[in-house]
Amino acid sequence: MKDILTKVTDVAVEKFGAEYAEARAQTLYKTMLTLKEGRVEAAKQGIENGVALRVLVNGAWGFASVGSLKVEPLTSAVSDACRMAKTASVRLKVPIKLAEVKKVEDRVRVKPEKNPSEILMEDKIKTASEITKTALGFDKRVKSCTVDYLDLTGTSYFVSSEGSAIEQDKLYVWSRITASAVSNGVFTFSREEIGSTAGYELFDKQTPEKIGTAVAKRAAEQLEAKSPKGGTFPVVLGPDVVGVFVHEAFGHLAEADLALSGGVLANNMGKKIASDMVTFYDDGTINGAFGSFKYDDEGVPAQKTLLIKDGVVAGLMHSRETAPKFNAEPTGNARAEDFRVEPIIRMRNTFMAPRDRSFEELVEGVKAGYYFKSFRGGQANLDGTFQVGIQEAYEITNGEIGEPVRNASISGTTLETLLKVDAVGKDFELSSGRCGKGQTAFIGDGGPHIRVREVTVGGSA
Amino acid sequence: MAVLKKDEMVGLAEKAVGSALQKGGAEAEAYVYEGQATNVSIEIGQINKSSRIIDRGIGIRVAVNKAVGFAYTNIVEDKEAVEDAVQRALNAAKASKPDPDWNGFPEKKPYASDERTFDTRILKLQSEDLVEVAAKMLEAASSVNRRVFPIEGGAGAAYLSSAVANSNGIVGFDDGTMIECSLAAVAKDGGMVTPVCFEFNAERKYNIDPEWVGKEAGRLALSALKTKSIETRSTKLVLTQFALQQLLYYTLINAVKADSVQRDQSPFKDKIGEKVGSENVTIHDDGLFPGGLRTWAFDGEGVPQQKTVVMKKGVLKNFLYDNYTAKKEGKQSTGNASRAGYLSTPNVEATNFHILPGTTSADQLMREVDDGLLIYYLQGAHSSNPVSGEFSVVATPAWKIKKGETAHASRGVMLAGNIFEVLKNVSAVASNERKMGQLVAPWLVVEEVKVIGR
Repeated sequence: MKDILTKVTDVAVEKFGAEYAEARAQTLYKTMLTLKEGRVEAAKQGIENGVALRVLVNGAWGFASVGSLKVEPLTSAVSDACRMAKTASVRLKVPIKLAEVKKVEDRVRVKPEKNPSEILMEDKIKTASEITKTALGFDKRVKSCTVDYLDLTGTSYFVSSEGSAIEQDKLYVWSRITASAVSNGVFTFSREEIGSTAGYELFDKQTPEKIGTAVAKRAAEQLEAKSPKGGTFPVVLGPDVVGVFVHEAFGHLAEADLALSGGVLANNMGKKIASDMVTFYDDGTINGAFGSFKYDDEGVPAQKTLLIKDGVVAGLMHSRETAPKFNAEPTGNARAEDFRVEPIIRMRNTFMAPRDRSFEELVEGVKAGYYFKSFRGGQANLDGTFQVGIQEAYEITNGEIGEPVRNASISGTTLETLLKVDAVGKDFELSSGRCGKGQTAFIGDGGPHIRVREVTVGGSA
Repeated sequence: MAVLKKDEMVGLAEKAVGSALQKGGAEAEAYVYEGQATNVSIEIGQINKSSRIIDRGIGIRVAVNKAVGFAYTNIVEDKEAVEDAVQRALNAAKASKPDPDWNGFPEKKPYASDERTFDTRILKLQSEDLVEVAAKMLEAASSVNRRVFPIEGGAGAAYLSSAVANSNGIVGFDDGTMIECSLAAVAKDGGMVTPVCFEFNAERKYNIDPEWVGKEAGRLALSALKTKSIETRSTKLVLTQFALQQLLYYTLINAVKADSVQRDQSPFKDKIGEKVGSENVTIHDDGLFPGGLRTWAFDGEGVPQQKTVVMKKGVLKNFLYDNYTAKKEGKQSTGNASRAGYLSTPNVEATNFHILPGTTSADQLMREVDDGLLIYYLQGAHSSNPVSGEFSVVATPAWKIKKGETAHASRGVMLAGNIFEVLKNVSAVASNERKMGQLVAPWLVVEEVKVIGR
C-alpha cells in the first residue's frame, strides 16, 4: 500500500509542481445492528475501501476521493486534484502555508482483549437483545427500546510528500440505546450512548443490565416529572452535562478554524475568561477512550492539549494549516471521518479537570435551583451563545435534591457562564459521543460535578 | 473514474439479486448508488479549495426464514467483492433472528417521472464555473457593508443516480442533478460579533442566484448588530423556513412516520380523522413535487414516490409508510423508504414535506404583525423531545417586530413550547414558499409562544 500511495504523491509533486501532497487510504470493515423492541431490523456488514488525495498547489487546496486502491484511478484522481487546486488558487488572497512537522514512520497496532471482528454476529445480537429485555422489563410503561450497535475495524494508511508513512489499526465499538415511555398522555424519551477504542470488552463494564436499566429508569421517572420554571437559576451540573458544555459551548470556540472565522476566542489568548477553578483539556492520548488515537489524519501525533488553565486561555486546537496563523504548533486535532472527506479540526476527549468539592457540598449551596444530570443535545454559535437540552433534571430546594423535572434546557453566553462557575467537584467521568461538523467524529467529553451561580433555564410551555 | 451507465447500474443490481437467490436466499434486493460531486469551498472569507468526490457502491438485503441480512461494498468494479458482499448479507441473515412481521420485499408498480430534476448544464460545470459562483456570492456579501464578514460557504454541483432490483421483479433506474451555493457571514462592530447568519440556494436545475445569497447573508448579519433585550412573556412569532425546518424535523415529521406510530412513539396514534392543527395548516408529503430536492421516481426500496395528504385543514389524514410498516398493517407503502445511499437499509422518512402556502405575501404578513418576533436560526432543536414534541430552543438571534417592521435583534432569546400546540396556533400562512432540505414551506405566523428573554 505504501508504495502505491508514494507513487501517487510523487505524481502530484513531480508532474504538477505541488508544494505538498498526501494520500490517505483506508480498508474498513463495519458491523451494524438495529434492534427495535428486540426485533432485529437487519444484521448489517459493510466494506469501505478508498483513498483521499489532498494536494497544495499555488497555495490552494485540491482534494479528490476515490473508492479504489489501484494505481490507475488514483493517479488520475491526484491529477484532477492538482488541476482543481490551480483553479481554486486564482482568487486566493492569502496562500495556505502548513506548519513544519517531523517526518513520521510508524506502524500502530491495537491489541484488544476482545476483538469485535472475532465476535460472532449471533453474540452481538444477544448482547443487544439483553439490553432491550432489561429496558422493556424494567417498567411496563416503557413501550419502546431501540438499540443501535456499530463496530468498525480496519487499517488506515498515511503517506505524505514530506516522507511520512504511517500505518494505523482502527477499532471502534459503539452503541446507542433509546427508550420511550407513555402514561396518561405523557410521552418521555431517554438516551444512553457508550463507546470505546479498546475493544468489545466495553460490554464487560457497561453490562447490558446496567445500560438497559439506566435508559429505562430515566424514561419511567420522567413520566412523573414536572416542567421547569423558565428564568435564571443557580444550577449543579453533572459530569455528562459538564462534558457537553465543555465540548459544545467552549470546545468548538477553541477549534482554531472557528476561532479564525470570527469566534470569540481569537482575541482572548492568554486572557482570563473564566473563574479560577476552570481548567479544560482536549486529550487524544487517554487509553481506550472514544476520542483517542495515535496520529491524526495529517500524520501529527495526538497529544494532551491544555485549553484553559485556572481560568486563563492557554491554547487552541490546531491543524497544520491553522497553527502558523497563531504562531503555534499543530496539536494533532486534524481528523477526517473517512476517505470521502478532508481532515478538519475536531475535538478528541475534551474535559474539565476536577477540584476538591463533594457532590453534597455543591448541592448544599443552592437554595432554589436545579440539578441537571444528563443532557439530550447541545449546540453553540460562533458568537459564544450555547444551548444544552436536558433529559434528566431535578429541583434543588434548600440544599436538597427534590422532584424530577422534564424537558428543561439551559442557555447563555459561554464566557459569562465560565465566570460564574463557583465550585468544582472532585469526581470525574468521561462519556462517549459523536460530534457533527459536516462530518461525524467519535469523541469523548466529561468532567466533575460543578455548580454555576446562574444560567438561563428554558421551561416548557 | 467514469460515471456508471444506466445499463451497468441495473446490471449490477440484477446480478446481485440473482446471485443471492442462487446462494440460498429466499428473497433478495440490491440497491446501487453513485454520487459524483464537484465543490468549491470558501474558508475564512476566501475561496481556497476545490474538490471532486466520487462515491459508489452496492447494498444487498437478503431474507432467509423471515430474518433479514444486509451487506454493502464500495468496490463494485470487482466481481468478487460484490459476490463476497452477497455472501455476507446471506450469512448475516442466517445469524439474525426471524421477524414475524417480515412480509417480503415490495411488488412492482409503474413509476412516474419528473423532468425537472435533471439538467445537463449542471453535468457540464467545471470547478472554474463554481469558483465564479462562489466569487459572485462573496462580492455581493462584502458589498452590503464593510462591517459584514463572509466566513464560510461554497458552491457545489452533483450528479446522483440509483438502481434497484428485487426478487419480486422490481427493476428501476433514476438519476438527477443538484446544484447549490451557500454563504455564512457575521457582522462585526468594535468587539461585538453577531451570530452566524446563513443563506443558500439549492436546486435541481441550474437556476441559482449567488448574488442574492451573498446579499441576503450580509443583510441578515448586518441587521443582527443592533440588539436590545426583550422581556419574558408569551408572544406572536413569524417562523421562517429555517426555523420550521429545525423544529419540524425532530418532532412533527417523526410523529407522522408509521414506524413511530406503531411503536407508541407518536401522540398522533389513533388520531387519523381528528383535528390536530389549525384550519390554516395543510401538509402533503410529496415525493413527486416538481423540482423538489427529494423528488425521485422511486424510494429506497423501488416503490414509486407519491403525493400523500398528511394533514388537510388541520385534520390528520395519513401516516408515512415504507414497505415493512405498510405490510404490518395490511396497507400499501407510500414510497417513504429512505436510504443513505448504498450504506444503509431503508428507514421511514419524509420526502418533500410540503406545507401548502397561503395567498398573503410575506411583506403583507409582516405588516399585519403589530408586536412579535421574526425567527430564522434556532439552536438546540435537536434536543427537542422527539416523542412529546416539547422543545426549548434559542433563537440566534430573534428579530423584534414592531408595527409591521423589524426594529432590532435580540440575542439569547429562548423559545419554549410544544410543536403540537404550535400547530394549533398557526394564525396565518404566507405565500413565499421555498425548498429547504426535505421541507417545502412558506412563513407561518404562530400565536402565543412562550419566550424567555435575557
